[in-house]
Amino acid sequence: MKRYLLLRVLQLVPVTLVVIVLNFLLVHMAPGDVSIVLAGDSADPAYLATIRERYGLDRPFIEQLWRYLVQVGSGDLGVSFRSREPVFAEIMSRVPATLLLVGTSLALSVVLGTIIGAWIARRPGSALDSGVSALAVALFSMPVFWLGLMMVLLFAVQLQVLPAMGMSSVDGPRDGFGRVLDVAQHMVLPVLSLTTVSLGQYIRLSRSAVAEVLGESYITTVRAIGFPERTVLMHYALRNALLPVVTVLGLQLGLVLTGAVLTETVFSWPGLGRLIYDAILARDTPVIMGSFIVMSVTVALASLATDLVYAALDPRVKLA
Amino acid sequence: MTGNLFRALASRAPFWISAAIIVAAAVIALLAPFLPLADPNAMEGAPYSPPGAEHWLGTDNFGRDILSRLIWGTRLAFTVALVSSAIASLLGIVLGSIAGYFGGPVDAVLSRAFEVFLLIPSFFLVLLIVALFGSNIAYTMVAIALTTWPRSARIMRAQVLSLKQRTYVQAARAVGASNTHVLLRHVVPNGLGPIVTDATILMGLAILTEAGLSFLGLGDQNAVSWGRMIFEGQRQLRLAPWMSFFPGLSLLLLVAAFNLLGDGLNQALSPQLRRLANRVTPRKPLDLSAAEAEPTPAAPMIAVRDLAMSYAIGTQALRAVDGVSFSLAKGESLGVVGESGCGKSSLGAAILQVLAPNARLEAGDVSIAGRPVLRDGHTVRVDGKPVVDALRWKDASIIFQSAMNALNPVMTIERQLSEAYRLHRPEATAEQARARIGEVFELIGIPIGRLSAYPHELSGGMRQRVMIALSLLHAPGLVIADEPTTALDVLVQDQILGEIDALRRRMGLSLILISHDMGAVAETCDRVAVMYAGEFVEIAPTDVIFDAPRHPYTVALLSSLPSVTGPRKPLTSIPGETPSLTEPITGCRFAARCGRSTALCREQAPPRHVAGAGHEVLCHFPVGEAAP
Repeated sequence: MKRYLLLRVLQLVPVTLVVIVLNFLLVHMAPGDVSIVLAGDSADPAYLATIRERYGLDRPFIEQLWRYLVQVGSGDLGVSFRSREPVFAEIMSRVPATLLLVGTSLALSVVLGTIIGAWIARRPGSALDSGVSALAVALFSMPVFWLGLMMVLLFAVQLQVLPAMGMSSVDGPRDGFGRVLDVAQHMVLPVLSLTTVSLGQYIRLSRSAVAEVLGESYITTVRAIGFPERTVLMHYALRNALLPVVTVLGLQLGLVLTGAVLTETVFSWPGLGRLIYDAILARDTPVIMGSFIVMSVTVALASLATDLVYAALDPRVKLA
Repeated sequence: MTGNLFRALASRAPFWISAAIIVAAAVIALLAPFLPLADPNAMEGAPYSPPGAEHWLGTDNFGRDILSRLIWGTRLAFTVALVSSAIASLLGIVLGSIAGYFGGPVDAVLSRAFEVFLLIPSFFLVLLIVALFGSNIAYTMVAIALTTWPRSARIMRAQVLSLKQRTYVQAARAVGASNTHVLLRHVVPNGLGPIVTDATILMGLAILTEAGLSFLGLGDQNAVSWGRMIFEGQRQLRLAPWMSFFPGLSLLLLVAAFNLLGDGLNQALSPQLRRLANRVTPRKPLDLSAAEAEPTPAAPMIAVRDLAMSYAIGTQALRAVDGVSFSLAKGESLGVVGESGCGKSSLGAAILQVLAPNARLEAGDVSIAGRPVLRDGHTVRVDGKPVVDALRWKDASIIFQSAMNALNPVMTIERQLSEAYRLHRPEATAEQARARIGEVFELIGIPIGRLSAYPHELSGGMRQRVMIALSLLHAPGLVIADEPTTALDVLVQDQILGEIDALRRRMGLSLILISHDMGAVAETCDRVAVMYAGEFVEIAPTDVIFDAPRHPYTVALLSSLPSVTGPRKPLTSIPGETPSLTEPITGCRFAARCGRSTALCREQAPPRHVAGAGHEVLCHFPVGEAAP
């Protein structure tokens, strides 16, 4: 088990390396002087000099690359030229808000999607199955930012029942239950948008996994034993079908994060996505680069977590 | 191949609707310059006009015509979709083919690279590229391609790996064709199907990615894109909601169309997914009152009359079991033998009504332990519950062919058996269940220590014993053993058969042993039924079947069996093939392969001929009577 864990963690190294090197190469290939790309168009000469010094821009190319690798490896993602704050700290300060949004909608879409998918898998090819499957495709074909805007239009502009912007009201309660309720209200629309779009993926995934498991002999066995169809589906088939669902869950975190960035932009949710959006507007390259690295490492870690969960769920996988 | 593909797609409405949407959008995109449209960039209309007669979809904050911008945006969407997915597929095809074809270290390095690049969240990489290099549609398309190619590469690699083994590729290599030639002529063209399918999904992805970038303000300033229209509409959401509504709707329609198209192609190309769709509605159940379904006293353990079951194969029905009748007294055993495909396993499934999704009971009566479970092909229900469900496992159980697949791989043996025990004895505690499992394990000779094992941790023989233990948990009166030893090696086969036989005698079980092995049946069963093309062609006490078979098929089956004790005779195989069970059959089903058949045999179904006590033959001219 320890050996497996170690090996699997070591597999994160190449991904991280590739991402950092890509970052480095792209900055050097981009039009314009590297120091200006990293310090911004309007940087004063003193700041430009600091940046040159920091990245060793007057050194040979290979040495620069090495420096950059060491720098990023030690958690230094550079400095935002908008706020002059370290990028890593900026990103970390935004993580809780994004985590709240992504976590909630991921949990909702996985649970709902799996159940709906299992339900329609009972009769593959039926009208219900074809209808829901086509709907699921429509859901994940939906541009999440557009869905968000339409929800704002309906619930905030027309019906005026839910807030459309931010994470809390300016004059709202600062602590206690009132605060929780305030944040929860602000969460409804962004979570609904993000969940709707990712729900489709999980419906499809769980449908095909459950449909496949339902064809297995051990399902015939439990049917012959006389277990009611509900138990067969929810207790036996779903349990086995969860394995492929878990695998894809890790692989698709990248898509969910993409959705989160776009959703946060629509709702001015003060998370990572909003940070990236503001960085784009200000051409704040170090923040965009840092976010790319953080997102990539997160996705890689998620795939590691997925593998471990898979191993825990399936006794046939030997951790050796 | 193409015909099959077409047929598989023919019944799929979503596929055709999406194909129609894509074609329509493509035509509009192509014709955009020739349509009588306002200039998409001209600020000619009144700003913020709602949809109306003059501007069908309204104007934006600059007075530009939304419909015209939408149509020009279609052009951009198609450009992005085609160019990005073409570059990505091409890259994927080249790298995937190289990895799959050359294998070894080349493959090791390349497939590792595919995996690494697949893990990189593509949207953020595209975002970075566009942020660094400038918002230009050409960069955007290249960036999208550069982040999505590993999908195609992985698919292509898998395709090439399997194609490499094909005979025609091997042959081309053997005659000395160059690697490039073999790859380009024989491998790549045959592996393209799934790539094309995936490319349609890539197209949808590319359109969404470009829209997302434009929405974040990274869109090309000089291009009219749907994402950019939503970006601009966002700020005017309250004043002019139509500015963002229509481009989003177009995005949704086109991307969904691409995804559904890919989906449809995928299902049409994969026979496994197609099979899943093949299912039938069962016949209406028959409701009886509790009194009518009371057990008949002194009834046999099981009585089957004229049982018929069919499978839906495409639009045809394959009659796997076609008019089978027999009955079995308590403690008696019947062997059912026949070639594979004769319907013997289907018979077992039909009796206990454990049916595949495409299987349907067509006719016949079955009663188990005196209670009717099937009447005229209708499932018998009392109080809305099928009678057979009340009998399952407590009165009749089944031992399935391959225990490896028949036991759940992710649950321990104990859990599977315990749950089965407590299902029918809800009042039993976990300890009682454990005690009962212990009893049965001892009876069968499974070490009790194996309880906590998972199926894959047991040997084949032990797994099959667990399956037998499972079937005996509730001490049923009837056990159907469907090829219980097929998957095992010969020595273990004999052991297990011996154990089943001993258990049967000790517990007074009625046993139906389904097997293709005449020898196995000879040792275990009181009576033998020979099944051919869905029918029992002969049924008789075991010694009669072996000593004085009357049906030509039984004779042929026996002479294909080597004798250990008797004189050595040349073994014969039976020439010809079984008739197609999807076509109507006139006459005797064995006629085409029978040496004794006459015109009568080919024209008229044979009568059931009683040849002795408990001996029936389905034949016009049974062996041993004067030849025609």
